[in-house]
Amino acid sequence: MQKVLSLSDFRWLALPPLSFLLLLVGLPLSRLLYEGGLAFSPALLSDPYLQWRLGWSLLQAAATCALTLLLGLPLAWVLAHFEFLGRALLLRVLMLPFVMPTLVAGLGVLALFGPHGLSGLNLQDTPWLLLYGNLFYNLPLLIRAAVDGFDHVPASRLMVARTLGASRWRAFWRVEWPVVRPWLASALCLIFLYCFSGFGLALLLGGQRYATVEVEIYSLVAYELNLADAGALALLMLLLGAVIALLYALIERRLARPDKRSPPLRQPVQGWPQRLLLLASLLLLALFAAAPLLAVLLRALLADAAAWRVLLQDDTQLALGNTLRFSLLALLLATLLGLLHGLAARSSAGLRALMFLPFMVSPVCVAFGLLLAYPAYSATLALLVAAYALLAYPFVAKAVVSARDALPAALPNAARTLGASPWRVFWRVSLPLMRPALRRGMAFAAATAVGEFAVSLFLSRPEWLTLTTLIYQHLGRPGAANLEAALVLSSVLLLLALLAFMAIEWPEKTHARTS
Amino acid sequence: MFKKTVLLLALAGASLTTLAAELRVMTHSSFSLPKERIAEFEKQSGAKLAIIKGGDAGEMLNKLILTRANPVADVVYGIDNTLIGKANAAGVLEPTSSKVGRSVAAANLPGAVAIDYGYVTLNIDKAWFAKQKLALPATLDDLAKPAYKDLLVVENPATSSPGLAFLLATIAGKGEEGAFQWWGKLRDNGLKVAKGWSEAYYTDFTRNGGARPIVVSYATSPAAEVFYSKEKLAESPTANLALKGGVFMQVEGVARVKGGQQPALAQQFVDFLRSEAVQKDLQTSMWMYPAVAGVALAPVFKHAEQPASFSNPDLKAMQHKTAAWVSRWTRLVIKNAP
Repeated sequence: MQKVLSLSDFRWLALPPLSFLLLLVGLPLSRLLYEGGLAFSPALLSDPYLQWRLGWSLLQAAATCALTLLLGLPLAWVLAHFEFLGRALLLRVLMLPFVMPTLVAGLGVLALFGPHGLSGLNLQDTPWLLLYGNLFYNLPLLIRAAVDGFDHVPASRLMVARTLGASRWRAFWRVEWPVVRPWLASALCLIFLYCFSGFGLALLLGGQRYATVEVEIYSLVAYELNLADAGALALLMLLLGAVIALLYALIERRLARPDKRSPPLRQPVQGWPQRLLLLASLLLLALFAAAPLLAVLLRALLADAAAWRVLLQDDTQLALGNTLRFSLLALLLATLLGLLHGLAARSSAGLRALMFLPFMVSPVCVAFGLLLAYPAYSATLALLVAAYALLAYPFVAKAVVSARDALPAALPNAARTLGASPWRVFWRVSLPLMRPALRRGMAFAAATAVGEFAVSLFLSRPEWLTLTTLIYQHLGRPGAANLEAALVLSSVLLLLALLAFMAIEWPEKTHARTS
Repeated sequence: MFKKTVLLLALAGASLTTLAAELRVMTHSSFSLPKERIAEFEKQSGAKLAIIKGGDAGEMLNKLILTRANPVADVVYGIDNTLIGKANAAGVLEPTSSKVGRSVAAANLPGAVAIDYGYVTLNIDKAWFAKQKLALPATLDDLAKPAYKDLLVVENPATSSPGLAFLLATIAGKGEEGAFQWWGKLRDNGLKVAKGWSEAYYTDFTRNGGARPIVVSYATSPAAEVFYSKEKLAESPTANLALKGGVFMQVEGVARVKGGQQPALAQQFVDFLRSEAVQKDLQTSMWMYPAVAGVALAPVFKHAEQPASFSNPDLKAMQHKTAAWVSRWTRLVIKNAP
């Protein structure tokens, strides 16, 4: 087939996101490395303590990937194949762990599995809680990506396979797995990078013995101002992260193939075996993704009426307004950048890998680098919003790339042949087809912006108070009233996030129409 | 014509700066004063206060050091006695003094003006000890005994200021070698290390659903527990446990930033923090004791008994050795090395 030009063949689309990355990551990081003089002690890397830390970081990231895949894939399969009441809502609720401040999630987990936990099991300071924490934060990412992948499996092909006598398992293996693989690849890459460089819930639950290399970098920069060693470690982490991202990009580009998009095959639940299967899946999901959140909600509801009066305070109103304002601004910027990057990255493994750059660099190094590179802008809102967008836009870019890969070439080509301009083709054909994935990416991006990520590393002002920072302020002081206020505010945060997810990902009725 | 434009521009620029005279105050993330006080200062001085939070005190100082060529603030509040040596050596502070009030005896910060002080010390969950009928440890060494196995949580000195303060107290109290020997025994006795104060207090302390009835916290925490209690408490559910070698006195201060743009306003702000109104308010907004002598203590502070003694290393030692001590501690306690 002759190749027809389409908008996404223009690599120049990558120019804005690449300049953004250069300004927000490249320059600040180089400035920091320059300041440190790169005179790091070579002994640093031969230090057994750091080697152990590095090994642990790699191991727990890999283990988390394996576990989320093992648990998440079957769950996603069920969610993708059965239609049931509340399915759309469930998929959105599933993203709530993402907005929960780490410390609050920790309180929720301990309310269940702590010394006085509701479950009666005390798992505090055991590796189980560590794994549980990792699954809590990372399952949503994998499940949402996998469900999206399953939705791209042409129903006709699956039916043909089944009619020809293929077992469910064989049909999965030969028909569905090849379609879902690329979607999983990007989610796993993200999960790996998150766990590799994160502070996270696992650390909170497992104690400092399980600290990642990022914790070392943080203390080298923020406490010792040892920029040389910190820079060397950050570079090493960047290098390892880049290898992972590039590996993912190569795998995904090889696996990616356009699909004849047909309505996904979703059946109502029939018969007891299916009902049991669905029930078991929902229970597993509730245990891993919802239970800690429910515990937080429950504790907030059981709190004194006085604790709810925190909602009337000026600070809370300010924080609510700011959270909405900042998240919206960051989401707009992230969507624009993510869309451009995602479209431009289609044929380039390098660009694909590069969109994960925000998760590969050490956050504390970027924060201090920004301070060095742009002291005059260091306490401005523009920089703060840009930082939010930086951490949010890979979600959009990732979704766009996957959706663009799955886009059948025939439709845009037909439109081009019929005389539509590349821009018109994009606007009327490609974009509508990519919309569900784009919206999923945007919902995750919004969740990132609402959540706590890196907020505390940048200079901030009291008038920029957000819900997350307000929650941490309350948890920075002793007293039962502070704890209850934090739990109430966390519930508000959850509700707000859920509303935002519903608004961004309003269920579309297109599937019903096409069949 | 050209000259005229330049002149006009300069005038416009000058009037703009006078209109929007702004004092940039760098603080650590725990800085908090009632809004009325801030408004009062803005009215008195005619300037706008831009408060910039730079993270934890140690992190904030490092941000100031990194930006000393282009200072991002005119005055800084929150540098304490563990950091003042480093700040002075890095040359980020303009030697600052204040004529307002007289400081209490131990509250002294070379080159800066003391605003408040407090103590980092062990806190206990009274109900837990009553229920278990366990006697309180009488010395630091008791904490390393089997009876007190798995009871203590401390903050990591590499990521938390109270954690660092407690480590420094043990070093001053037991001598460097003695302290690290003790930490090694503590590690083998089930010591838990949390990332920061909030994590230790809210996920590990028994008072809040954790499993450890002894936590490194502040001497004012029992008072704050009463102040922020749900029903009005007659006595605090927690208490200070001031063991010899386990109390650090922290003095926090304010200073002008070298190269800052508003030296006169900055001085005004320094004096403002020493004023009686601020010295009264900071007690229950930041939970520290006032550094100006003769200021009345808030009634709720009767629940926060001031430790009779403390053990701080001298300022010079803290300036030069802290990094090495923290790294030695990390290797010993976290790495689990013999």
